Amino acid sequence: MDVNKMKEMIGFMDPEGRVDEEVFKGIPEELIHRMYRLMIFTRLCNNKALSLQRQGRVGTLASVRGQEAANVGVGLAMEPGDWFLPSFREYGAQFARGVKAIDLFTYWSGDERGIKPPENSRVLPICITVGSHLCHAVGIAMQARIRDEKIAVLSSSGDGSTSQGDFHEALNFAAVYKLPVVFAIQNNGWAISVPFGKQTATETISQKAAAYDIDGARVDGNDVFAVYLTVKRLLDAARNDHRPALIELVTYRMDDHTTADDASRYRKREEVEAWIEKDPIDRLRKFLSRKYGWDEKKEEELQAALTQEVEETVAAFEAESPPEPTDIFNYMYSEEPWHIREQRDEVKRTVGESSR
Amino acid sequence: MRHVFRLPDVGEGITEAEVVEYLVQVGDRVKADQPVIRVETDKAVVELPAPVTGTVTETPHSPGDTVKVGDPLLVIETEEKAVKAPPEKKEKPKEAPKAPPPEKEPLKPPKVAAKEEEGPVEPAKKILATPHTRRLARELGVDITAVKGSGPRGRITDEDLRETAKKKEAPPPKGPTAAAVQAPATAGFDFEKYGPTKRVPLKGIRKRTAEVMVRSVSTIPHVTHFDEADVTELQKVRDREKTLADQRGVKLTILAFLTKAVADALKKYPMFNASLDEATGEIVYKQYYNVGFATDTEAGLMVPVVRDVDKKSILQIAAELNELSRKARDRTIELEDMRGGTFTITNVGALGGAWATPIIVHPEVAILCSLRAMEKAVVRNGEVVVRTIMPLTLSFDHRVLDGADAARFMSHVVALLEDPLRMLVDVA
Repeated sequence: MDVNKMKEMIGFMDPEGRVDEEVFKGIPEELIHRMYRLMIFTRLCNNKALSLQRQGRVGTLASVRGQEAANVGVGLAMEPGDWFLPSFREYGAQFARGVKAIDLFTYWSGDERGIKPPENSRVLPICITVGSHLCHAVGIAMQARIRDEKIAVLSSSGDGSTSQGDFHEALNFAAVYKLPVVFAIQNNGWAISVPFGKQTATETISQKAAAYDIDGARVDGNDVFAVYLTVKRLLDAARNDHRPALIELVTYRMDDHTTADDASRYRKREEVEAWIEKDPIDRLRKFLSRKYGWDEKKEEELQAALTQEVEETVAAFEAESPPEPTDIFNYMYSEEPWHIREQRDEVKRTVGESSR
Repeated sequence: MRHVFRLPDVGEGITEAEVVEYLVQVGDRVKADQPVIRVETDKAVVELPAPVTGTVTETPHSPGDTVKVGDPLLVIETEEKAVKAPPEKKEKPKEAPKAPPPEKEPLKPPKVAAKEEEGPVEPAKKILATPHTRRLARELGVDITAVKGSGPRGRITDEDLRETAKKKEAPPPKGPTAAAVQAPATAGFDFEKYGPTKRVPLKGIRKRTAEVMVRSVSTIPHVTHFDEADVTELQKVRDREKTLADQRGVKLTILAFLTKAVADALKKYPMFNASLDEATGEIVYKQYYNVGFATDTEAGLMVPVVRDVDKKSILQIAAELNELSRKARDRTIELEDMRGGTFTITNVGALGGAWATPIIVHPEVAILCSLRAMEKAVVRNGEVVVRTIMPLTLSFDHRVLDGADAARFMSHVVALLEDPLRMLVDVA
């Protein structure tokens, strides 16, 4: 267990999009194009949702801008049989796992129907409570171990979650029971207004793995190849050898924590600008033009096609009928207990039902 | 088709916002999602994007206006024709205000943000003018509704306003849109009765200063303690160490020595480094020593804060002070550099004046004012001698501190200033 190795930053692609040929042999060209497409789609969806929020057409939401590589790399690294447990700033990973973009808009409008992942997708609903789903991931990994299923489980959460008790409980259980689970930490530098330097006394998050005697890795989260290959390697080890792992993806939240936040009150513009220079999408675009002759025309076509897709998604979202006020009671129990029924009846009496 | 863009709840549960500026003007073509207006809520300044593509036909507010959630912000004429009934928009029950509307609301609170409807936004006459022109109108004290526009479609130009102002046709305008102090004290005063006046809105730093000062004097019972320090020796020390400071590119000031003396006095008398938490009825003793410096800038009074003065050398304090006051004057200073102060020093020495009674920066409990050090004839051991004397005044919060505390605090500061070597021997 070499702590110093855990602290080393893994990166394959430099900011100019140059890559050591040897390293990325394992990634076919088609997959690289898929990564790029998903990253752009994620950003366009995200920016559209922010715009709609400012127009009063969706509610509060958390922007993922800047973290597209760390998102998409994680999402694509999983096998179909693996389970994915996202937190609330993971749209890229969710899309990679088949979650529909329309659900993003529906969910952030306060409509619980938007949180239901597609059938058999093995994606859990977004976890808003910070860090609790790391324990859920351990539970799923434990059942897989008991049933001797050859799968892995991946939970993804932010740097703030590593200060929760749940984080330590989850890592400890995973280590003690040798469970096939990977904890991915999107370290975007800020837990709302708490900077990483105040989050933990350790230099990195990845080195915390040593305390539980599990694998630890630290990756340049704006390098989609490094994210994809490292997560894939750790998932394989979890699946085949029951080795749990902690992976830190070093990235940056370019926007406010949510639309109800104003990050300019606690961080400097220069810091944000320095990270915009390291934009993960720009980096992959430079790689594509270097390696596959990606040009402005192709870029424009892709942007236009994806923008169209986003606009159609929004149109479909706005054409949906509204949720029933009583829908909030629908998704907790498979059989409704008496006290929930009473509350449901009371809501019906006082608020009534919509015309759906 | 006419599309009214209404102020949405852009935060979590905000009820109103202040218009900062329109980014477009009447007649402009806008595309959906293009930023059209900046508004300030109690949480942030946010840019709101247009919900539809079309031409701007109305911008019913002026910068500084307060707008309630659901009120119209902008009207856009889209190219779609309203032939058939517009598709039923998704109702959002969470946005429907449940409380009955207040009785005398001129504009009914809408059920849904961003929804088409008939009828004008404002029954008043439509004013065509850019935000810049509207601001100029307020600055010149011209009632823009009384001005006839000479521009295309009757748009009011800057020239129109200047003409009107010159002719003095304008009736007395309304008061500034957002006065810090509730206006009644001056309501009914006809300032123009005895001669011409000029009206400038109370805003920005001026407005914030007004608010802070009113809060301070209306909550803190102020007492001011006066004393003098003989800084003859200190000036010699300063002159001697100037060479070293100059080599490091630092302007070494008496203020830096004073700050160090204050840091020591704050440690010795921690209640001067406290705040009164009125909510809990507790005195909060801060265990960090951050001194704010009242700084006069072109934009107004700013108070940059030097942190942890107890841990820094006099030269370091001087260097940071140089840097922060430069940033304050350039207005490149970050908000964070003006927060977290635990005590404030205001140095009006250079500007003259014999004495002053400073107002405490709420919620701190004391402020020290240093005035111009001057040669004076004083009596020492029965002889009249010439010494350099610096007046000092200390305003304190009498809820937390008493006159005796102020005397002890001040005496400690004065003792250190009069015997600078003691700083070497006794100050940590």
